[in-house]
This record gives sequence, C-alpha cells and structure tokens, in this order.
Amino acid sequence: MKTLLSYLGNLKEYLIFSALILISIILIFQNDNVQIRFLRVVAVNVIGVMQSGFSFIPNIFELERENKSLRESNLELSRELSRLKESKLENLRLNGMLEFKQRTNYRVATGKVIGKTLIQTRNNITIDIGEFDSVKIGMPVITDKGLVGKVVATSKNYSIAQILLNRDLKVSAKDQRSRVDGIISWDGEGKVLMKNVSKSADVKVGDVIITSEYSNVFPPGLPIGYATTDGTKDNLFKHIEIECFVDFETLEEVFVLKFLTDLERKELEKRFSEKAK
Amino acid sequence: MIDYLKYAGILLGLVIIQKTLIGFIDVTEYRITPDIVIIGLVYVGIKRGKIIGGISGFLSGIVLDIFSFSFIGLMALAKTVSGFVSGYFHNELKMERYLNTYRFIVIVSFCSLVNNFLYYYIYFQGTSLEMSDMVLRYVVPTTVYTALFSVFPVLFARKRRFSR
Repeated sequence: MKTLLSYLGNLKEYLIFSALILISIILIFQNDNVQIRFLRVVAVNVIGVMQSGFSFIPNIFELERENKSLRESNLELSRELSRLKESKLENLRLNGMLEFKQRTNYRVATGKVIGKTLIQTRNNITIDIGEFDSVKIGMPVITDKGLVGKVVATSKNYSIAQILLNRDLKVSAKDQRSRVDGIISWDGEGKVLMKNVSKSADVKVGDVIITSEYSNVFPPGLPIGYATTDGTKDNLFKHIEIECFVDFETLEEVFVLKFLTDLERKELEKRFSEKAK
Repeated sequence: MIDYLKYAGILLGLVIIQKTLIGFIDVTEYRITPDIVIIGLVYVGIKRGKIIGGISGFLSGIVLDIFSFSFIGLMALAKTVSGFVSGYFHNELKMERYLNTYRFIVIVSFCSLVNNFLYYYIYFQGTSLEMSDMVLRYVVPTTVYTALFSVFPVLFARKRRFSR
C-alpha cells in the first residue's frame, strides 16, 4: 500500500496535468463550431479504432444483453419469415387461380375453404360464399388444378360441397386420350376409382381423366386426375385407380362454377327412364 | 501563499494587457501578436515546477478563452501543456541562470512554439489551411514575436541584478 501511495505520489504531477488536459478537452467539446465537429469525428474514429483493438476482450454483461437481444430478434425474424412464406404460398395459389379465372369460359365465384372433413366416408368442405354470391345447389366446385366436387347445401353466406372423396358423389368421366368412358367414385377407403370401364378398354397408366359430356352436373373437359393403374378386373369391367389433381389435404381456395344442369335435358332423361321401367 | 498571489496577479495583469493593448502592435497580414502571457507562465513554471506551471497555464488559458468569447478550452489546453513543459526547467540550482540569462528567451521560444502549434493546429482543424501554411503564417511568427518580447524581462532582471 505504501509502495502504491509512493508510486501515485510520484505520478501526482502527471495526474494533475492529465486532469487539466481532460477538463480543457471537455470544455473544447462543449463548443459547437467547424473545428469541434471535425475533432469529434476524429475522436469518434480514434475511439472506434481503440474499441476494435480491445474487442477481443469479452464483456459478460454485454454478451448477455446481446444474446437476449439476438434471441428476441431471432424470434421476430422467425415470425416474419413464417408470415412471408405464408404470403408467398398464398400468392402462388392465388396467381394460379387468377390465371385459371381469366382463361375459363364460365363465370365463377371464388371462395375460401373454411371447414373440411377428410376422414369419413362422406367428406365435405365448407366454403365462405353462399346464396349472396349466387351459389346454388348442384354447382361444380373446382380449383385451377381440377375438379373438387359439387355444392350440396347453401345458406346466405356459406355453402357445403361434396368432394371427390365422398361415396355419394359420382362423376361421369372419360380418358382424355382414348375417350373411354367410366364413372368416378370413391371407395370410401382411400382410392378414387374409375368404374364401369370395359375389360378391353384402352386405359394406360398416366392417362388424364376428365369429366365427360354425359354428366348432368359437370361441364365436360374438367380435369379430374390421372390413371395410376391400368385396371383391376371385376367380371366384365375393370376398376382404374385415379390420382386426383386436387390435393384435398391442402385445399384452401376454390371456385364455384356458375354452371347448372340443363333442366330440359334432365327432364327428358327422367321421362325416358320412367317410360323404360 | 503570497508567492502564489503574486504569480496570479502577474498572470492576470499579463492577460489584461494581452487582451487590451497587445492588439495594437499586431504585424503581418495575419495580425500576429506576441503572447506575453506565456512569458509570465514560463517564469512561473521555472520558479515553481510542473504542477504550478500546468495549473497556472490552465487558469490563465481559461481567462483568455473567456475574453476571446469563442473557443472555450482551447487556450486552456495549449497553456496547460506549455506551462507544464516550462516546469521541466524548474531546478533550484539553475533557476537564476534560466531566468536571468538569454536561456530564458530560448525556453520561452520553445514553450511558445509548443503552445502555438497546439493552439493553431486545433484552431484550423476542419479548414483547408495546409499544415505548412499554418506553421509559416501563424506558429513561427507568433513564436518569434513572443521570443522578441521575452527579451524585456531578461533585460529587466539583469538591470536589477547589476543595480543590486
């Protein structure tokens, strides 16, 4: 302690000198003129160089603060990234739908899927458009990828549609390449099948299946899916497994086609079938 | 204590003269004047050493800054440094030699050079004036002019010594 005091005593004049210099510098920096602004820039640069020289010394408290701040910004960025990804995917979907809307010949109403069931034998989706949007029972529901199903119930603002994964929905379809006809239906266990296809019919794996002109509900030419087998035989007919173009798991936006059954045709077919009985 | 008051009185008197009368004897187009305060400061530094030299420099510098109404702290800085430097010549054995001979002029010149260089260097920061121009136009002329003025106390001291 004595040595330290003696050492400090020897340094006394330099300590006083440093204090006076420091006071002078502080006074100088209280001024606001061009010289001082320049000196401030120099001082900031000098301090910056010195700080960068000592930056290898870790400051635990600073590191803790920095760590906390980084965690917070990381969380914020993750949220932002998630929002951006969501927006990007929505943008892609909406772009595809917009393109479809522009090229289709039918009038359409765009709706958001606000409810869906996919694990039952009779699966439906709920859409956020209804009678106020001129949606009527029987109208086809599609996306830009292909057929989804048809509207089976409506309220003023909502509609319910049967989807292809519903045992009650049957769709007249045909092979786009070979024009072979069949009926699309769901087996209730996970497979969409094209039935009533004769054994000898020309259906190959990869053939695109579309709605046919025989349908009373759907306009012809709507894509449904593609054949994944060339048919399991069942007596006179074969069943062809279809992979739908529409992914029902990720379905979010749909179009309701403002297309209704031709009543005259329906009436005629009804009368004829009654007569035949 | 009386000694300190004497030094304070001398320096204050010099500051007042510096700010009132010395302006009338400026030379060159850059209005160079002698710095008579530094002469007194060197005297105090040689007499009392670095600490008193530095403190005297600081206080006289502050007073000069206050009178100059512009750059507070700059003259205090320059005078603190030059007063402290003058304290290096404090030596009980050689004091008379330093104060009463032409060595005093050399010490004043040196301290004045330090003072002027520091002062003008900072003063002209942020302007387009080159360092060489600054030295030739301001630092050297002021130092020489101050050195010329430091002849008078030496002559005065010698006269007093001979009269004794």
